[in-house]
Amino acid sequence: MRVEALAVARKEVRQTLRDKRTLVVLVIAPLLQLTVLGFAVNLEVEGLPTVIVDADRTAASRDFAADLTAGELFEVVERSPVAADGVAALVAGEAEVALVLPRGFARAELAGRPAPVQVLTDGSNANHAIVARNAVEAFALQRGLQRLRERGAVPTMGRPDVRPRVLYNPTLDSRVYFVPGVAATLLLVVTFIVTAMGLAREKEAGTLEQVLVTPLPPSALVVGKTLPYAVVGMLDLGLVVTAGAAIFDVPLRGSLFLLAFAGALYLLTTLGLGLLVATLAKNQQQAFMAAFFIILPMVLLSGFMSPVPNMPEWLQYATLLDPVRHFVEILRGVLLKAAGWADLAPQLVALGGMGVLVFLLSARALSRKLA
Amino acid sequence: MSALIDVDGLTRRFGDFTAVDAVSFQVEPGEIFGYLGANGAGKSTTIRMLCGLLAPTEGRATIAGHDIARDPRAVKRSIGYMSQKFSLYLDLTPAENLEFFAGAQGLSGAERRRRVRDALEHSGLDARRDTLTGALPGGLRQRLALASARLHQPRILFLDEPTAGVAPDARRAFWRDIRAVAAEGTAVFVTTHHLDEAEYCGRVGLMVDGRLEALDTPAELKRTLVPGVFFTIDGDAPRADLRRALDGAAGVRGLQPFGRRLRVRLDPDAALADADALTARLADAGVADPRVEPTTPNLEDVFLELVGREAA
Ligand SMILES: Nc1ncnc2c1ncn2[C@@H]1O[C@H](COP(=O)(O)OP(=O)(O)OP(=O)(O)O)[C@@H](O)[C@H]1O
Ligand SMILES: [Mg+2]
Repeated sequence: MRVEALAVARKEVRQTLRDKRTLVVLVIAPLLQLTVLGFAVNLEVEGLPTVIVDADRTAASRDFAADLTAGELFEVVERSPVAADGVAALVAGEAEVALVLPRGFARAELAGRPAPVQVLTDGSNANHAIVARNAVEAFALQRGLQRLRERGAVPTMGRPDVRPRVLYNPTLDSRVYFVPGVAATLLLVVTFIVTAMGLAREKEAGTLEQVLVTPLPPSALVVGKTLPYAVVGMLDLGLVVTAGAAIFDVPLRGSLFLLAFAGALYLLTTLGLGLLVATLAKNQQQAFMAAFFIILPMVLLSGFMSPVPNMPEWLQYATLLDPVRHFVEILRGVLLKAAGWADLAPQLVALGGMGVLVFLLSARALSRKLA
Repeated sequence: MSALIDVDGLTRRFGDFTAVDAVSFQVEPGEIFGYLGANGAGKSTTIRMLCGLLAPTEGRATIAGHDIARDPRAVKRSIGYMSQKFSLYLDLTPAENLEFFAGAQGLSGAERRRRVRDALEHSGLDARRDTLTGALPGGLRQRLALASARLHQPRILFLDEPTAGVAPDARRAFWRDIRAVAAEGTAVFVTTHHLDEAEYCGRVGLMVDGRLEALDTPAELKRTLVPGVFFTIDGDAPRADLRRALDGAAGVRGLQPFGRRLRVRLDPDAALADADALTARLADAGVADPRVEPTTPNLEDVFLELVGREAA
């Protein structure tokens, strides 16, 4: 079995090195996609186009608007004293936020009465709308307290002083958060597709039949066909982590060995799925379609783009069956938090269990079909 | 000495359709066994069952004493197989292909290197050992496939239309290889479309619609299935005129176009079964310059006879 498996692996490597397209899929594409996706996806919110509707036209109202928009979050694109202009700008899509300061704002503030401020937001990007509303509320609260102090009044009641500080990713750089997700997805796509397509191609070309009339044991075929891509997968993982560090300053705080170990467990699943699809598909086209329809939900459920806690509850349970989810958590843990074996034990066990199960079942299905 | 291939009532159905229908035969060591039949007659299906690629619906077969259903791995160890469609790796060189298939047979180290080198030498591929297989001409590809099927020195070779699409002189070279292999004691089971090639076979089985309709040496097949005397006739007249001159005449058993000419089969005791009598008959019918030559029956006559009987 060793001789035969080695012969298969060697043949596989030769063909891969000769086939420029496979090489591109295996090495160039992951790097390219990491870079492109990394730059394209930016979860931070800034520069929201904003209309200032200042109907009060007083020093106080001008002051309020200027201070609020001094930061990076709001970018004033238009000013108007008429509230209808603000609504029109939102409807036309020229602005996402309209800040309305109605007449009587300064007088109310001076008199110590609640001074009305209206924030209109375009809810089609819920995230932007929420961030804008929160920012205005927080600013208004600050300004109220400021006023009280200026008048010499000290609030007698103690109040909670919330000062959020983000650990592990103090600057809240979304790219740092994003790279592990990209790494897991790329590994899945690359190893899954290459394994499935490779076998499907042999089926189509008839070379598989020629192999099957030799006494080569099916296990040698399985090992020989997956081992080279497991190695490539590990190299890709290293490549993506290195590139993540070089381009996006993603740290590597935890153990490299733990990372590699988790990577190997993860590859069991992705390669196993490749074998499974190759078993069921009659040709390359079917293999590609099947791979696509398996990969898509896996990526969506992984929480890499939309966080798991935002999903409906039943779907959150489903994500526990998604190896991509566990691998992303492990990557984030090891890269960003220096998480160790004990911290990640649940994910490692889940990943390992699924990996061994999927790989063995797929390999068995394939052997059955071949024998 | 028992037969290397022993087939008994082998049957394969695909749904309602019977592709191979209760076929039985034996092939001895050193024998070249030809399997003939039209497209879809069931030749490849038979081979695929004997190689363990397809399970029979009924019947049994042993290969080198191993039952194909019970011990497929032992079967695979004793056979070499060339499929109808060329199926070595086009993106590997001949040397790499041979190395891989030798490895798949469990050969390694110096032994593997020696076998690969010998195979390259024998099949005339030494000079092209590092060209990609996809760039080889058809004849060389087929010799490579044969060399690959023989790497582990199997006692039985299954060749499924090995010379389809190969140029005539390459075909002759290929058959020289096959005869040399058989001379070493290997049993060769070969299917072909080329009826002239079947003449090289020790025995020939004729498949019609999944059934093995006849099985014997080429000479016996001709003697029993198409008895009679054969002539080719020609003259300064269209073939249709030649045909009209003889159609329906007493003792004429068959008329077939043969190039520009016509082949006639006659009962041996018929009045026309004689070159002079035929020439006279053609002249009487107005054919200018009639030419008549005696000839021998070939396997095509046998085949047509069989298919004709089927249809009747
Ligand atoms: N997997 C299959 N499913 C259904 N029908 C099949 C299958 N394989 C073969 N057949 C049918 O069985 C019949 C015999 O096919 P086979 O390939 O054995 O013919 P053949 O004699 O080798 O013909 P050819 O000269 O074209 O190679 C054909 O009608 C074919 O369509
Ligand atoms: Mg065929």
